[in-house]
Amino acid sequence: MYVAARGGEEAIQNAETLYHQLNTEYDLNTVRLIERNMPYLVDRVMGEGSLYAPDLAALALAQTGGDIYEAVLMLRAYRSTQPRLAYALPISWDEMNTIRRISAAFKDIPGGQILGPTLDYSHRILDLAVIDNKSPAPKIDAPDPIQPTTSQAEFAPVTTLARVSEWQRAAGLLPKVNADDKQAARDIPDVTREPLLFPTSRAARLQSLSRAETGGVLALGYANMRGYGAVHPTINELRLGYVDVMMTHPMTGEPFSLGRIRVSYAEVVTTFKGSAQKPQLALGFCATLGWNEVKTIAGAMLDMAMDLPEPHPSHTEEYVLYHTDPVESSGFCIHYKLPHYVTFGSSLDAMRGVEVSNSAAASYYGDVSELKAGLPGTYAESELAVSDLSAIDDVVPDIALSAHP
Amino acid sequence: MQTLDILVPETSGYSYAFLDEFAKRELRRRMLKAIAIPGYQVPYASRELPIARGWGTGGLQVTLSLVGPSDVVKVIDQGADDSVNAANLRRFIVRMSGAQTTTDTTLATLIQSRHRIPEEVLHEQQTLILQVPDPEPLRAIESNISKAREMHGDADYGLMWLTLYEQLVRYKRVTLGASYPVTVHGRYVMSPSPIPRWDVPKLHQAPFLTVLSAGREKRLYAVPPYTDVRPLEFDDVPFRVENQRNWLCFRTGEHNKFMNEIPLAGGNAIYEISDSGYVNKRILKQPVGNTFFDDNAKFYKEGVLHD
Repeated sequence: MYVAARGGEEAIQNAETLYHQLNTEYDLNTVRLIERNMPYLVDRVMGEGSLYAPDLAALALAQTGGDIYEAVLMLRAYRSTQPRLAYALPISWDEMNTIRRISAAFKDIPGGQILGPTLDYSHRILDLAVIDNKSPAPKIDAPDPIQPTTSQAEFAPVTTLARVSEWQRAAGLLPKVNADDKQAARDIPDVTREPLLFPTSRAARLQSLSRAETGGVLALGYANMRGYGAVHPTINELRLGYVDVMMTHPMTGEPFSLGRIRVSYAEVVTTFKGSAQKPQLALGFCATLGWNEVKTIAGAMLDMAMDLPEPHPSHTEEYVLYHTDPVESSGFCIHYKLPHYVTFGSSLDAMRGVEVSNSAAASYYGDVSELKAGLPGTYAESELAVSDLSAIDDVVPDIALSAHP
Repeated sequence: MQTLDILVPETSGYSYAFLDEFAKRELRRRMLKAIAIPGYQVPYASRELPIARGWGTGGLQVTLSLVGPSDVVKVIDQGADDSVNAANLRRFIVRMSGAQTTTDTTLATLIQSRHRIPEEVLHEQQTLILQVPDPEPLRAIESNISKAREMHGDADYGLMWLTLYEQLVRYKRVTLGASYPVTVHGRYVMSPSPIPRWDVPKLHQAPFLTVLSAGREKRLYAVPPYTDVRPLEFDDVPFRVENQRNWLCFRTGEHNKFMNEIPLAGGNAIYEISDSGYVNKRILKQPVGNTFFDDNAKFYKEGVLHD
């Protein structure tokens, strides 16, 4: 039964059992296959879950039947129990092992454009022969599919490159970065450990964008790019690759690698910022765990847009950051499935009360004698007497929803 | 041979009551601040829990940071103990804390509730934890939370009063349903969470502590024991609770407890008392505690409601 029913506890257990019966079972093999064969899905869950753990993200997807919101929630709920033990060393993008790198701002850039792995120029045609089992997809020389490999860079040659924006800074097109602007790791806020307050710091903003929901970032970013906003961006650089997460060894003081992760970032620029005397470019930035081009491009735009004056909602950081969190937005949306009959009943009472006030041709505040009684107004008398109750009991179960046949 | 496995102590997977000690410490500190400044919304980090956001995670974080093995926990949703989400939260609290549970309001030490305050009067040793979807009573007039915070800082509630006045002009009565705004300790305007107006007076000079917590919105606030909680009302337009005067509970035959309206085919409706723990005791002819409203709808404290 759904609500106000005896046996609610049994019902929810049956509902969960039914869910798992309808979906296939999973085991380590399933998890490895998801991790290996759906890296972009795994990346999205890791990015929005803000936890780099391909095996756990794949497990969350297996457990939730591929429901991204549920998988992200599961990963976040796991993450929130993990203590923050230490700070990694800052990662320099210059040292990123780059596998794909595009700049739309220039025909060529120092280090060159690297198309890398992409479906951008593929024909999006369903490979129906696979369904017919006639022509299996061409065999790619891939490692053992059971082995996790998405975090390893052995697939393709990689290279380290300076960022395009550094060339622009050197050329005076972008403001120089002050050495003083660099914060010590301990001084950088952590949005997973502190509440987000507005106006917030750029660090908190970029962290929030990094774990924001892809669809939400895209919707707000798209509204902005399409013309509701004031940002006309150019992609300065979009990059996919691998970085080593480094830490200082507590005993030896030597830096060592904790592991290699997939990351992506986008920089967008817009012209005619700065002063009227010296117009400059302005830069928007978004990076995330895993490879997610749509999110980083739209997120970098929003990073820039959030500084602009109102009126468009996406020009307000509060609007953007509050409404793009996957766990909060999806959770609140589905919470409307919960019973609301108390609040609904209370509103109905207020609405019915208006009719009573009107029909009584009352003044502003109704009939004073009624108000003084504390419980003013009357409705049609309930026609039911206590003696009728046995008959009603048969009717009531109609409101119950069975979770399980 | 010594390996790392031998040196590393065995971990239990999750901390007691799920939240790690850092999260619990933060919550307890925020709660102390909230109690010190009645009705003031204290921001907190709000960790993700294995329950969907918007499903009671704010209340749950408070409960998990207060609960101990000797506590007796009651969880209700719309007044019902066996509502599916209440059942799920209770199951989780028990699983993570080993606390006892009850449906009897008078036996509980911690009561986590969504949208209701029980009918039986709570006492000083009990804590009421209300789940809050939207902690900001000014949201309808100022959706920007930073600006709303400034308005609270300035006690700038003119627009709020104007809203009530406009309702009077348009509808000849205040048309607010649940979440009726209140002034706490003569200072902060606070949302009492979406409890019906019937429950609002129960907070005034109450002997028990109420902690209200919004997990998704990352704000918690409190009404300490024996604190003034007054609904916004004009001198000549008193606050009104829901009019259920002629509604009769089909389960107990009682009047003047908050009722659910249950539609019947053909346009009629029957009514049942929303507080399922209270109803169960009535049906089983067990003793019940004093109730906030007596059988004649008279409130247990003089001078709180106009009569």
